[in-house]
Amino acid sequence: MSYSKDDIRDLLEGRLAWDKIKEIMSSPKDDDRFDRCIEILQERVPWPERILMPLGEHLYVVDKSGERIVKCDCGHEFGDWRQNWKLNALIFARDTREKLEEIYPGIRCPDPNLCEVREFYCPGCGTLLKVESVPVGYPIIFDALPDIDSFYSEWLGRPLADRKEFKDMTCEVTRGWGLEADGAHG
Amino acid sequence: MGSDKRVQIIASDAGGTMTDMMVVDSEGNFTIGKAATTPEDQSVGFWESLIDAFEYWDTDFQEEAGRILPGVEAVVYSGTSMMNTLLTATGRKVGVITQRGDEDVFLHERSRQTWAGYPYQDILHHVTHRHNRPLVPKRLVKGVTGRIDMFTMEAIPLYEDEVRRSVEELLDEGVDAIAVCLLYSYMNPAHELRVAEIASEVMKKRGREVPVYLSHKLAPIMREQGRLNTVVLHAYAAEPGREQLFRIEEKLKGSGYRYPLQIVLSHGGLTDIRYPRIHEACFSGPIGGLLGARYLAQEMGTGNWVCTDMGGTSFDVGLIMGGEPMMEREVVITRRIYNIPTLLMDTIGAGTGMYVTIDPITNRIKIGPESAGAEPGPVCYEMGNEVPTVMDCCLIMGILNPDNYLGGKLKLNKELALNAIKEKCADVLHVDPYYLAEGVYRLINSSMREHIRAVLYARGFSPADYHLLSYGGAGPMHVAGYTEGLPFKGVATLPWAAAFSSFGCAAVDISHRYQKSTGVIIPDGAEDSWKLMMGQMMLNAGWEELEKLAAADFAAEGLPWEEARVQQIAYVRYGGQMEDLQVVSPVARINSPEDMDRLIATFEDLYEKVYAGVAKHPQAGYQIMELGLTATVPKVKPRLPRLPLEGKEPAKEAIKGEREVYINGRWHRATIYDMDTLRPGNEIEGIAVVEAPATTFFIPPARRARMDEWSLLWLG
Repeated sequence: MSYSKDDIRDLLEGRLAWDKIKEIMSSPKDDDRFDRCIEILQERVPWPERILMPLGEHLYVVDKSGERIVKCDCGHEFGDWRQNWKLNALIFARDTREKLEEIYPGIRCPDPNLCEVREFYCPGCGTLLKVESVPVGYPIIFDALPDIDSFYSEWLGRPLADRKEFKDMTCEVTRGWGLEADGAHG
Repeated sequence: MGSDKRVQIIASDAGGTMTDMMVVDSEGNFTIGKAATTPEDQSVGFWESLIDAFEYWDTDFQEEAGRILPGVEAVVYSGTSMMNTLLTATGRKVGVITQRGDEDVFLHERSRQTWAGYPYQDILHHVTHRHNRPLVPKRLVKGVTGRIDMFTMEAIPLYEDEVRRSVEELLDEGVDAIAVCLLYSYMNPAHELRVAEIASEVMKKRGREVPVYLSHKLAPIMREQGRLNTVVLHAYAAEPGREQLFRIEEKLKGSGYRYPLQIVLSHGGLTDIRYPRIHEACFSGPIGGLLGARYLAQEMGTGNWVCTDMGGTSFDVGLIMGGEPMMEREVVITRRIYNIPTLLMDTIGAGTGMYVTIDPITNRIKIGPESAGAEPGPVCYEMGNEVPTVMDCCLIMGILNPDNYLGGKLKLNKELALNAIKEKCADVLHVDPYYLAEGVYRLINSSMREHIRAVLYARGFSPADYHLLSYGGAGPMHVAGYTEGLPFKGVATLPWAAAFSSFGCAAVDISHRYQKSTGVIIPDGAEDSWKLMMGQMMLNAGWEELEKLAAADFAAEGLPWEEARVQQIAYVRYGGQMEDLQVVSPVARINSPEDMDRLIATFEDLYEKVYAGVAKHPQAGYQIMELGLTATVPKVKPRLPRLPLEGKEPAKEAIKGEREVYINGRWHRATIYDMDTLRPGNEIEGIAVVEAPATTFFIPPARRARMDEWSLLWLG
């Protein structure tokens, strides 16, 4: 079972007609969807690194000389995929009534003492990559940490050459910040 | 002309692809024609179909129309012209005036509309649910302030300046029609009437008039969304559809036909095409068979029928109870809810055109939900489809004759069907293709059988009280399978099963139906004076109003009102229950408390039949939220000939030969009969196949069939 590359491209770009989308949704999954998608995405980006997995609309986990890093459409690199890329993004926190009202005017505005809205932008191209709405002071959410090795070996049946340890390494970034801060003060 | 008799009735059934025609003479003989439907001008397909029908009587209709048509007493149309306008969204530009605050009604919809018509697995998957594109865009929906409350009182006066402005804006937009639907207008129409007056003033001043349709006139029933949809349907599709009907009538009258063209309504009525609530004709396509069954039931004196119609894409089940079909008052068609009374049909996707595939995950046979339709059709049509269908399976099993399809007009390619079944399905599962084909045949039969079971048992009915009638092109081929193990009183099909819908349309009386919401509450042990007051104020007043409407419609159509058979209807339920029953009132008016008791007793009798005696709940009292009225005058109908029984042995000419048929896991030698040559009284032992040009009746081993005096074939 398979769909044409044009249909999959239209699907990815939000141009596919509803009838076709409904047909795809109601049918068994096409066998080659992942590879088709990667092929299309790879053609679209201006850089040569191999895409291992897409991560939202603009980000990808790519293989860069044996390292797996998060990379934006524009080429900006966010570092190891096991670290929350958001920590290396530009962050705009809407934490006052004034800033929140720009988006939620009047009675729609949440209480800034209870809630803040954080916007994450790419430092390379300024694209808005992600928004989270959380209680004030809540740690930055790590949206998804894909187990890439298991996916390649167990789902696609073709393991990647260099297996990496699968664990959340975000705290290494924050520990680095802590050390930096200690250094600055110490 | 093969039949020298006078042509009496012409009935057409215009489907999405084909227009069927049935021509009946004064002796009850009939001929059937078919032609492609021509949506842009339906009179073309109508005429072609007539020509085709008369060819079977060796008559050149084109030449002789002027001789034939002056003698015809009724021409009946039923069809999908208005439905196609909806499906293709090519109706008129309609503006809507509704209650302020309710302007987004077409966007938020009722959730049912986001999945209506989906197969079961998609209903479960919310990700596939989707809002409809509104027929009326938001900028053409205007809200006006004002409110009639649920007690019919004016809670907020109508803001007339807002109405004026709305009409101006809609006219600026160039609308072709304005539809008005305000809350509770079915109880107190004052605000809707005032909107119409203001609209008329504004239009006069501007010198441009467009029609204004009011919801309380077209569908005076509670639930504003269905009511609004109905008004919009009327303005958007029904009125333009009427123009098509006038074109057909013009053509008929041009050749001497003397009466108005009649159109079948979705509740089984029949009316002149000038009928004001023409939208009731929008969904009349699939009900023809039920009307035919009702006529059979009345002629034969057999009151309870389960009617099953199997075609290329769907399997419809309808019920006739005590000689009358069941009705639903709110229908969902083309993904929208309408307040249009419609004969009840429970439909599942199960048809001969359904694709047969192997689910790649579970390795199970999957039938449908998609169907190959008429184009590209099953693999055996040789029109490019490579995915096998149910029909391909019947073909390789030997049930279907490749040289007799549509009377031999279309040759079926058995080889191609076999290869497709082998490659796409049988080889995947490593089984014999014939074994697989029989599996498919059994699988689809069992899903239809379960559907029938659900339709009956879910309502508390038992097959033991019913006869089952099978029609539709594919019904007789599967009927033995889908009734297996269900204890019906009898299972029958007919030689002209494929044209049963158009027969049904020819067999309808002229009939109108009117509905109205009301609010009658009779508590348990209510005082006599209360019963009388409720009866007089609510029921009698409502029925009188509906009778006035009916009499006016009859007068407009030139029908004799004094000859009409009028039935007063009340929708009665126990207090607090959600479902009510349609009760034909035993009295025309409630003139005493005893009259009310008689109405309630009729309800309780019916309730006991539909559910069970122990379910009765008089302690909760009774409610009547809606009433109705039907007015009927008889029309000429095709005669159902009752013939003397002849011998059991079919005539030699009836036997066409023998053929190998695969069933129960092996090949059998089956006798092939010609359906048209069988005579009443004849009996056939299975395994046998009875062939007609448009139908194939399969009798499995150890079963038999007998033709009765009405030419019905009973499966034994």
